[in-house]
Amino acid sequence: MQKKTQKQPHKAVRQQTTPPPAKRKEWVLPVLPVFFVLCWLWAAWYYGSVFHISREYSLWVADTRIMQFILCQPYGVLRYIGRAMLQLYQYPWLGGLLMALMLTAGSWLTGYCMRLRASWRYLQYLPALFYMAVVTYHGLDVFFEARTGFIFGIPFVVLVVLCIWGIIIRSFSRKPIPAVVGVPKDETPRQNGIQFAVIVALLVAIIGFDQWQRPYVRVICQLLDMEYRQDWAGIQKLARANAQMSNRPMACSYGISLVQTGQIAERLFDIRLDYDSLHVHGMDGKGNNLNSLYTPEGNYYGGFIESSMHACMEQMVMTGPTIRLLKLLTKCALMREEWELAEKYLTVLRRVPFEGAFCKKYGAMVHHLDLVNAEPEMALIRLTEPVHDSFENQYQQPLFMGYNLMLVEGRSANALMNSLVVCLYTKLMPQFVERLEPLIGTTPPSIIMDGIMLAENKNPGISQHFAGLNFRQPQLQSFLENTRPYMKDRPGFAYELFPKYKGYYPYYYFFGNLKATRKGYTSLSSSNSGVN
Amino acid sequence: MKHYTLYIYIYYCLLLVVVGCKPKAEVPSQFSAIETEASIYPDYKDIVVPPNIAPLNFIVRDSLATAYVAQLQGGGHELLAAASDNGIVQMDTVEWRALLNANKGGDVEVKVYAQRPDGWVQYKPYTISVAEEPIDAFLSYRLIEPGYELYRQLGIYQRNLTTFDEVPVYENNREYCDGENHCINCHNYRMGSTESMLFHVRANHGGTIIVQDGKAHKIQLKDSTIITSGVYPSWHPTENLVAFSTNKTGQAFHVYHPEKLEVMDEKSDLLLYDVTKNEVSHIIRTSADMETFPCWTPDGRTLYYCSANASGLIDSSLPDSTISQQLLFQFDKIRYNLMSIPFDPKTRSFGQPQIVVDAVSEGKSISVPRVSPDGRYILYTKGDYGQFHIWHKSSDLWVKDLQTDSCYALNEANSPDVDSFHSWSSNSRWFVFSSRRMDGNYTRPFIAYFDKDGCAHKPFVIPQEDPEWNILLLKSYNVPELSRDAVRISMKDLHQCIYETDGENANYKPNPTAIIQLDGTTGASPRAKVDGTSGASPKKRE
Repeated sequence: MQKKTQKQPHKAVRQQTTPPPAKRKEWVLPVLPVFFVLCWLWAAWYYGSVFHISREYSLWVADTRIMQFILCQPYGVLRYIGRAMLQLYQYPWLGGLLMALMLTAGSWLTGYCMRLRASWRYLQYLPALFYMAVVTYHGLDVFFEARTGFIFGIPFVVLVVLCIWGIIIRSFSRKPIPAVVGVPKDETPRQNGIQFAVIVALLVAIIGFDQWQRPYVRVICQLLDMEYRQDWAGIQKLARANAQMSNRPMACSYGISLVQTGQIAERLFDIRLDYDSLHVHGMDGKGNNLNSLYTPEGNYYGGFIESSMHACMEQMVMTGPTIRLLKLLTKCALMREEWELAEKYLTVLRRVPFEGAFCKKYGAMVHHLDLVNAEPEMALIRLTEPVHDSFENQYQQPLFMGYNLMLVEGRSANALMNSLVVCLYTKLMPQFVERLEPLIGTTPPSIIMDGIMLAENKNPGISQHFAGLNFRQPQLQSFLENTRPYMKDRPGFAYELFPKYKGYYPYYYFFGNLKATRKGYTSLSSSNSGVN
Repeated sequence: MKHYTLYIYIYYCLLLVVVGCKPKAEVPSQFSAIETEASIYPDYKDIVVPPNIAPLNFIVRDSLATAYVAQLQGGGHELLAAASDNGIVQMDTVEWRALLNANKGGDVEVKVYAQRPDGWVQYKPYTISVAEEPIDAFLSYRLIEPGYELYRQLGIYQRNLTTFDEVPVYENNREYCDGENHCINCHNYRMGSTESMLFHVRANHGGTIIVQDGKAHKIQLKDSTIITSGVYPSWHPTENLVAFSTNKTGQAFHVYHPEKLEVMDEKSDLLLYDVTKNEVSHIIRTSADMETFPCWTPDGRTLYYCSANASGLIDSSLPDSTISQQLLFQFDKIRYNLMSIPFDPKTRSFGQPQIVVDAVSEGKSISVPRVSPDGRYILYTKGDYGQFHIWHKSSDLWVKDLQTDSCYALNEANSPDVDSFHSWSSNSRWFVFSSRRMDGNYTRPFIAYFDKDGCAHKPFVIPQEDPEWNILLLKSYNVPELSRDAVRISMKDLHQCIYETDGENANYKPNPTAIIQLDGTTGASPRAKVDGTSGASPKKRE
């Protein structure tokens, strides 16, 4: 103690006598507040959509009986707490604020607990940046199949440990608390600059990695969010802006938005539909094709309510209930007039923070079929419901594609259009031609017209039954001539040619989706199935 | 010492807050009686309850009310319970017990009061009748998401019906693990006693777990002649035998139908397993018929089961691999009769099958026969088609009086929705059954009184400490089985048996009296000859 008291005046004297460097005020910025702002920007603006969707794929209610499916698992309490915090991501700026506070506090405490000198202070930011890097590396895995509790759970537990550690240090060593807002007195401009350099460099690296290796993560999450908000124009704009990117959830969201706006036969092929492999893993640790991410919604918007419920239930069995699944199940139950069932799901959702608006909107529809049928989204879905019953296993999966491929009777022109487009998507031209009869004498939508022109080859004269096809023939001829050199290696040239021919069906027919055409559809794994 | 006083003070304050928050149970001094019935959930109005049932807590729903009081009176006893604006009325267990004991064989009158802006009102009172006979105290069930293909966290649980205690009998792995995931099903006890119990484990660690004398062992019922392994079980009441069905089952999901899915058998036979000798044999093995849901009578001299003949629905010229698809297209034409086959426990020989209820001729189908422990009634489920009636809204509970040979629906117990799987209490006065009447999707166990005249009374869902739990629980109660006593074996021992043993293969030993017909022309079905020349010919009894 004596030594300390002796040293203090000496330091003070030295600080008084040594004038600060002339440029210090110009260069030095408080690193911690800036780090906080950067974290907030990252967690809210940049990665907020991912965490927002993570929240949607979690369920959290205070009632521990409902949350038993999480609490009974390893680190259940941590997951429970993490999910509770994640609820703030209903509003990404709010969730991001908490995340940024935790990361910043963790960094500050790391510096304090490790007694880092100014020259080593940049090290205190590494754990937080490491966390951001890990989250970015995992990409879709951070929320897929519901390990969402760890998103906040891990920073939380680290923060708690650091707090305890800090309290112990403070209690025994009385180490002075470093500045939180201002620039620490012992920090030189160079040391300050190093900290900024490290933070900025690593953040750039993290974001760069994300843009380079995981560019689809934020896009998929934004699309899923827009899908829930019924922002069809937003989906189309975002999907077209990322048209070169190709994955099934994006294709499904884009398709749904086109169906909902009546453009499915006009603009489906504006985005690439080749389905690149994604970095995403299921519970089994194996690569996953994400069908559980789009099948429930795909079936719902395709008019297959029972099958949507089926897909929701399967997912709910595997991962436990999620907010998104419960909402979709509510809508399905309303459409099936299962009022008590809808009320059941709403009762659970009413316990979820920030879900009041959904519960109010759809709660009002319980026992009111007129309100259900008047809701624009549901009214449109009604138009494509099947006319006759059959069984899912009679069709290729996913059902919203397989059923439309074999559609023999629809309840509206929308159903026919969906069916025609699915035939074109799967390149099954005989089925496409079989379904054209109701359009005879009309001017079909552009994609259908292009499909008819392609079918002309094996069905001479077919185009004469439709109006508006005259100018399509030269266009097709020109396309065939221009692409002839590339026909030898269609998979190899597909990506290169896409920007030139995007939106043009013959391009898709010859160059698009070749991998999927070869492999066919994927279906649910049967390893965990049985009759229950 | 100072701190000690502070803690006491804080504790006292907290206690005051808790007590202060609890609504006061006091009958309002002024109220107006209205003719409207109270809207309560679950529906516990005008029911018959066993004297040993746990308190029937309920929710009162009245959008105008901010507080409620329930007054239960009978036999000189009174119970008061109050609820705040959430309407949840929870009763004191000790007072409830005293009230029921004082009213055995009598009625309890329930008056519910609600505080509305213009004062207290009293709804139209209703009664709860208390039967003399208790119900078996324990109910076992599997908690599982309602009937889809995949499974993850599931378990068999046992609820003490006299309290709200629920304990797991066995739970599978809580966290996903490819090498550990397994399903459990078909838990069953011998004559309502847990001294002998069994259940199946499927997928990883698969086998049939048999528990006797407090010890569990795993067996494998496999043989080239056995379709799959044991499925629906029935313990013989006196011999150490179990009758099993063995079924090749599949399911298919409707695309646009009021029912969500169909579970169908493609093939099924009946097996007899000797637990002591670890031997298995066929009871009935036919290619033309599908036999399932075996059930012994309490004297062990007759085995009831259900049987369907689907041979007429199959085009034999097509390959076997198409059978399931062929049957699927005619899912609503597959119908089961209730059959019986005599059994001599001494010689272990079977007699000739007989039709007990010819449901096929009336365009109906029967499943899950269960004989009352007094041997007089067979309770079964009857629906329009098929055997997995838990997914058929047409399914209702029926009984056959074996003394009078009459069959009738238990209309008081049935609902427009699914009413299916059932289990008798050992005194034959109560039964529990699965019903989807609450929301059409999630099964809940309902208890019904079955009086001496063979009539069922209005059923009620098993009480919960928090009545809202019936809504909040996102799992179904599957296969409710009553038992007099609690399961004694620990979950740890079951876990050890399941995880650490491979299971002993049962020896297949043919039974000379078994019905074996593999030519596909005749079988133990209503379509077979009735002249007695064919071994499997049924005789119509009804």
